[in-house]
Amino acid sequence: MPDYTLDTWLLILYSFLHDISIAVYIGGAISMEFVLGPAQASIPPAQAQVMGQKTADRFLWFVWGSLGMVLLTGLLRLEQKRMLVGEWPFFQTPGGLSADYGQTLLAMILLWCVLAINGALITFYFRPRLQGKLGSGMSAAQVSAAQNAKIQAATWVQRITRTDIVIALLIALMGASLARGGLI
Amino acid sequence: MDTLLGWLHTAAWATYVGGALTMEWVLRYAQREMPGSQVGVVCKNAGMRYRWLALGCLAVIGISGGWMVLRLDDAELLAREGAPALSLGDAYGRTLLLLAVAWVLLVATVAFMAFVLHPAQRKRSKPEMTKEEVAAERERVGRAIARMDRALKFELVLSVVSVGLGASLHAGGLI
Repeated sequence: MPDYTLDTWLLILYSFLHDISIAVYIGGAISMEFVLGPAQASIPPAQAQVMGQKTADRFLWFVWGSLGMVLLTGLLRLEQKRMLVGEWPFFQTPGGLSADYGQTLLAMILLWCVLAINGALITFYFRPRLQGKLGSGMSAAQVSAAQNAKIQAATWVQRITRTDIVIALLIALMGASLARGGLI
Repeated sequence: MDTLLGWLHTAAWATYVGGALTMEWVLRYAQREMPGSQVGVVCKNAGMRYRWLALGCLAVIGISGGWMVLRLDDAELLAREGAPALSLGDAYGRTLLLLAVAWVLLVATVAFMAFVLHPAQRKRSKPEMTKEEVAAERERVGRAIARMDRALKFELVLSVVSVGLGASLHAGGLI
């Protein structure tokens, strides 16, 4: 084992947790959309709905956990490199925000905010609409309206998930560029 | 070019490891409350898709990783923190070698699952089979499922350890 200081071991730990969280987010979203989604379509609709609900409920915990962990470990890595400061934009880079590194870092944080907003939209707005049950006393028109609302919510969840995959891959591209000074 | 290779490598690792974790902790969890017959259908469908996705990702990881190592030069390594060296006398070189071994093991495991264990799980029952033959067939499929389970756990642990090894390269290696 190399003779590293505690700071270096902590940096390795933060990097590991950061990378695993990104993997859970990107790989999880891609698997949910392109592996579990088509597999779900191979069973009867009633069972597919139960499966979709179970997998989405569980996956949303992973989404929030990984988003939180990415932010926390990202900040801890900046702190470890003495790049966190107490005033806007709360981090300093060798060349400040005018440098590519700082601008790329700021863009990554802003895109993280977009992912968090999209996650909140799915969790607190679209998922409850998808889970609503059809009452026995409902008229045919009400049942049809409720079903249309569910279909619309499912379409929006799919659109947002695909947008999130693209954004997360863009963040990964920016992250990869940081080792060479940034992208923007 | 280096940024593009780094991104491809990261995205492929993320897709592969995140997919493996999702299959284990999301799909398995959902399967607990599904009827047995439908678990089989979902497993077959999702398993097949995931295996091809995993093999594709591992191919991208191997090509991009190998290419990045070929593009490394002494001047770039010297500029990095701790000035790592691409030799077995240095933690960086040893960690890279271990990562390459882990990659070979992962490719072998995923290929074994895709081409041996997955087909072995299919039940081959014929109307003319005796009760003993049906029981033996069930036992064979049960053993194949148990082997697949062990292979999946091995793959999951090895892939997560590999991410740790890769993360340690920023600091100069782990072993």
